[in-house]
Amino acid sequence: MYNLFIFLKKHGAVILFILLEVICLIMIVQSLPYHNRKMASVSNGISGNFLKTVSNWNDYLHLKRENETLAEQNALLLKRLGCDETESDMEYYDDVFTYVPAHVVNNSIYDVNNYIVIDKGRADGIEPDMGVICENGVVGKVVNVSSHFASVMSMLNTYSIISCRFVDNQYVANVVWDSKNYRYGLVKDIPSHLIINKGDTLVTSGFSNSFPADVPVGTIENGHDNDNEMFSTAKLKFTTNFSTLRHVFVVKNNYKSEIDSLCITN
Amino acid sequence: MYNKLIHNILRFILLLVLQLLVFDNLNFGSYIHLHIYVLFILLLPFDTPQWRLMIDGFLIGLAVDVFNGTPGLNAAATVFLAFMRPFIIGITTRKSDLEGKNEPSITEMGLSWFTVYGLLLILMHNLVLFWLEAFSIKLLGIIILETLLSSLVSLLTIILIIYLFKPVKK
Repeated sequence: MYNLFIFLKKHGAVILFILLEVICLIMIVQSLPYHNRKMASVSNGISGNFLKTVSNWNDYLHLKRENETLAEQNALLLKRLGCDETESDMEYYDDVFTYVPAHVVNNSIYDVNNYIVIDKGRADGIEPDMGVICENGVVGKVVNVSSHFASVMSMLNTYSIISCRFVDNQYVANVVWDSKNYRYGLVKDIPSHLIINKGDTLVTSGFSNSFPADVPVGTIENGHDNDNEMFSTAKLKFTTNFSTLRHVFVVKNNYKSEIDSLCITN
Repeated sequence: MYNKLIHNILRFILLLVLQLLVFDNLNFGSYIHLHIYVLFILLLPFDTPQWRLMIDGFLIGLAVDVFNGTPGLNAAATVFLAFMRPFIIGITTRKSDLEGKNEPSITEMGLSWFTVYGLLLILMHNLVLFWLEAFSIKLLGIIILETLLSSLVSLLTIILIIYLFKPVKK
């Protein structure tokens, strides 16, 4: 027993150091899969409300620009009402997807894996895997939900993969992020025979249940390197400006469970 | 003793609020992240035992983590900083230098000593932090660049903060 005390007195600091670091590492590793990552932040009432208060203060600084954005959006919606789009697939989309407006309360763009916290949660019908878009384009996917907040894995995340389509020729590719610059991403899995030009536009493919088709994602910034014989990669400029993000829409797919059940039975 | 405790608690809260409200929102590009809350550990008195340094580092790191949604990340880096602090003080000073000194502050130890002391510890803190954040060896180049740039800017900011709150008395 006495020896134990001597030992503790001599090496106590090292033992405590190892103990604390192990606790930290357990916390990090437990939260490593992106699904759990923001859990602590979002589900914690204190930090959620803290973020919300900070965001409320910030809002006053952005009121002018906010008004402009809302006016733009209003104009867009009015235009949509004005023209009579009686095409059947337009109705189909309105039927399938509903949009829940939400407010960004926390946003990061400079980390390796970036997340956004929005002020809508389970109480507003938000569930994990729902897509999030803004008036300019795709933002990300909901990964975690608490009763009044949700965390969104933005496209600026190394785990994020968004299925896209070239507007010009309908070829499908995947958009990922290389954690370097928040304005640019990478388009992967482009068939290497495809000739792509600067300025080619990419939109969502609509193959995932999270996003409607034809939401803008970005434009090609420069040419492509051949990864291998089959596929090549190109640099993409996002249409969404993640650094000024304030208003977003969560996309609810009303038939998601029905589509999913089909996939499972297959 | 009692005053000292209140003083430290206030400093803890002030640095935490500064970090969360100001420095987490300042964007200098993807390579520069300011972590000024480590100043709390840097300024604890010389006679603080190592275990207290580490517990305090754990607490302030965890507090930052809770609000940033990165459980354990800042805590791990700050515990490492607190663990290394006595060694760094050991290699940068002689026994006779420390006589009659309370705090490793600029007023007591001088700017040049504080710069070396601060830079070494902040480099270690940032290296652990960015490496754990990226969690891979693949990004080593980026991590080292991030560490160097962030440490220099953080140290500069920390020195500015010290002069802002504690003007040098003549």
